[in-house]
Amino acid sequence: MDGLILAAQERHCDVVNEVICAPADVKDWFEFLDPWFTIGPVNFTRISFLMLLAAAVSVALLYFGLRRNRPVPTKFEAAIQSLVEFVRDGIARDIIGPEGAKYVPYLLSIFMLILVGNLFEVTPLINFPITSRMALPIFLSLVTYFIFVIVGFSKNGIHYLTDVAWPKAVPIGLRWLVGLIEVVSTFLLRPITLAIRLFANLVAGHLMLTLLLGSGVTFVLAVGDIGPKAGIGVVWFAVGMIFFAFEIFVAILQAYIFTLLSAVYIQASVHPQH
Amino acid sequence: MEGNIEELKGAIALIGYGLGAVGPGIGIGIVVGNAITAMARQPEMAGTIRATMFLGAALTEALALIGFVLFFIA
Repeated sequence: MDGLILAAQERHCDVVNEVICAPADVKDWFEFLDPWFTIGPVNFTRISFLMLLAAAVSVALLYFGLRRNRPVPTKFEAAIQSLVEFVRDGIARDIIGPEGAKYVPYLLSIFMLILVGNLFEVTPLINFPITSRMALPIFLSLVTYFIFVIVGFSKNGIHYLTDVAWPKAVPIGLRWLVGLIEVVSTFLLRPITLAIRLFANLVAGHLMLTLLLGSGVTFVLAVGDIGPKAGIGVVWFAVGMIFFAFEIFVAILQAYIFTLLSAVYIQASVHPQH
Repeated sequence: MEGNIEELKGAIALIGYGLGAVGPGIGIGIVVGNAITAMARQPEMAGTIRATMFLGAALTEALALIGFVLFFIA
């Protein structure tokens, strides 16, 4: 957020006339930052570090939460165990059915990684959701895509493709049209929408928080120049704090939805008729 | 001239996002409204209904979010 305030001041954000300060070019926020160091073709940036940190945090949470199987778990262990139970019973078993046990490790991994990555958005001093860079959502959704396509073909053989492209339940005159729509939506749109849903939610939240909190701080700091008008900065900041609480909810919900949809897509490959 | 066209493109993208948000807005309203009705009728099914509601809302919401992303790309 310091960067935003600096950027706003560099671009001479006109706090006298404008009620909200937008940066001159929002595209700046989607560029890659200066790398910390470079190994061969790999640039190591702050975001790379945050991604590794999210992976380490989620592994550490699971390790320390499930290390001992005590009759009376501590509060922390009980919380982690209820998370695992939620993914195992609430997502894998409810959606996929008895075969869901095989997919619990994958679903739990993506759930924890996305949850920790999303919550970085509202973690003080980090304030950056790693899932708001397209690299991570598109990678995770492609993994889900390959899993459900491979499972579909290995469970049903070529019937997986023919059931999607030539649905028997539809009258013959419309079958080609429904089949075409189904093929496009299953094999083309599913991975894209799965990634964009997570990405756009987090980008929107991050943008809104930075704009509201950033212009709040910019206005309050400009109190010498604009006098009592700086009070509007307090309002912006207050609205920003309301959205801060809302973003915690969104972060958890999006992690849940990504995992839930992955499970639904895998289920559709395991039992293609339903 | 160049600047005007740039600004116009931004404005059109904004209108496009607004139009793109109309349908999903109605859709999410229908999904959540019907889920509430279902939960009120059968409170014992609330857990299943809630999971399905989030699923339907997420699928509907994707269209609005694609509009949001296109707004930045345009």
